[in-house]
Amino acid sequence: MTKLVRELMRPGMVTCKPQATLGQVAKILTENHVHALFVIGADGKIKGIITDFDLLTGEWLSGDPESLAAMRRMTAGDLMSAPVNSIEANASAKEAAQRMQERVVRRLLVTDSGKPVGVISVSDIVASIAEKAITKRKTVADVMSDAFLTCRDQTPLASAARAMTSSGWRSVLVVDANGKPLGVVSGLDLLPYCDSEGECGNAIVADVMHPAITIHMHATLQEAARKLIENHHHRLVVIDPAQPDAIPMGIISSFDIVAEMARPESIWQK
Amino acid sequence: MPTGSIGMGEQSETERGKFESELKRIIEASSNAGLMLRVIGSLAFQMHCPKYGYLQAAMGRAYTDIDFAAYRKQTKEIRSLMAGLGYVENREVSIISEGSRSIFENHSNNLHIDVFFDKLDFCHVISWDGRLEVDQPTIPLSEMLLEKMQIVKINEKDVVDTIMLLLEHPLGNNDQETINMAHIAKLCANDWGLWRTTTMNLDKVGKLAVGYPQLEDDQKSQVVTQVKKALEYLDAESKPMAWRLRARVGDRVKWYKEVDEVH
Repeated sequence: MTKLVRELMRPGMVTCKPQATLGQVAKILTENHVHALFVIGADGKIKGIITDFDLLTGEWLSGDPESLAAMRRMTAGDLMSAPVNSIEANASAKEAAQRMQERVVRRLLVTDSGKPVGVISVSDIVASIAEKAITKRKTVADVMSDAFLTCRDQTPLASAARAMTSSGWRSVLVVDANGKPLGVVSGLDLLPYCDSEGECGNAIVADVMHPAITIHMHATLQEAARKLIENHHHRLVVIDPAQPDAIPMGIISSFDIVAEMARPESIWQK
Repeated sequence: MPTGSIGMGEQSETERGKFESELKRIIEASSNAGLMLRVIGSLAFQMHCPKYGYLQAAMGRAYTDIDFAAYRKQTKEIRSLMAGLGYVENREVSIISEGSRSIFENHSNNLHIDVFFDKLDFCHVISWDGRLEVDQPTIPLSEMLLEKMQIVKINEKDVVDTIMLLLEHPLGNNDQETINMAHIAKLCANDWGLWRTTTMNLDKVGKLAVGYPQLEDDQKSQVVTQVKKALEYLDAESKPMAWRLRARVGDRVKWYKEVDEVH
């Protein structure tokens, strides 16, 4: 039987005011281990949503002091997306997955008779595929790391989904026998299988993986933010420029950059 | 809009003829040498607008130099061609621009040649990659429009050239005597800054056109219609995430490069 959105969603939501600065948004995202905040107006109604990906714009466009100053003046209300995509709690998980794919979003506001009650994200649906309890994402998985999840291209999809859920990672790096990156599988790639209740048949990661976008280990955060935005990817594979075909050095995600922006000593917090 | 600037003012037929005949001489020589040297700037507009080219003189648009687009891989051959035609290169410009631009002077006729290699890199970058083969002896009509529309502080001379172009050529999805708006829309969809400047200037051209006494009423309305249609093309093109994010920031962050004029 197809699961309902209300069974998979996370109740409640993390919010901010439209006047919140990007630095404040970064801090709230990091402290709450979430990837998006709902922006609430003075009337208590949801005005929009701001994600960690939106915040990358801050790093991307702050190449000179004048631009940095302008970006530091920007608020959640300026940068948020509106209107917010939503789904009713009694809708099926399959319907939620289809809506995310159609609208190219990673989360939906869940409503009950029109009233906001929670959030459902790609990660929640991926967790259901693996038939595992939803685990809270570990902090270590949200920061740039030289330890990351890998698999070979013949790995079954169900195994990849299970590994992602149990580790709290939102992606798996697919490598060849020598460790050379072949591609990346993210939650979005797994969505077409959400209605099979974990029955992914004979599908393997090579069937769904997307190309890995690489970045040199010495590149700046600004370069990483630009690359993420321009390619509309949420993570980059960090390679050693001296050995680009060797096993990668690590993975940097949009959230890693936001976590950096949220650090007390960051320029965004001053 | 800056007025009374370089490129505006009365110019005798003899003086205009001097530029046009020298351009013809260079084009013939480059064609014989098998070089990909394409005309840009005021003379390109004159060549590509046989019906409305008279407006340049009528509206006080003067020639100041002869500009070309070329591929960097032919730099050596172009230098040799220009030397053979009596020109001396100002090597400092090539060094400062890291080989993306060359200026040649002819001291016998006091003419000045500007060659832009691989791209035009002023307020925004307009790449020639794969585009110089599309038309001849000028760059394609879409690049001619972009050449003008990428200028943030647009001058009257650029407005005059654009009006001529919009009167002479239809907008469409190909490069055959047509301004390829599909190509321009794609470039603008990949670069919010270029979109911002292009839409701003198209709007400006439409508003300024109605104030020129040298234009007939039907010509004025034709320019306004063309501008509206061009903006519709840019609006209809789907925009990627990077464009949409940049659009939310808008004018708060500068979207163009400041330009230092080299004459």
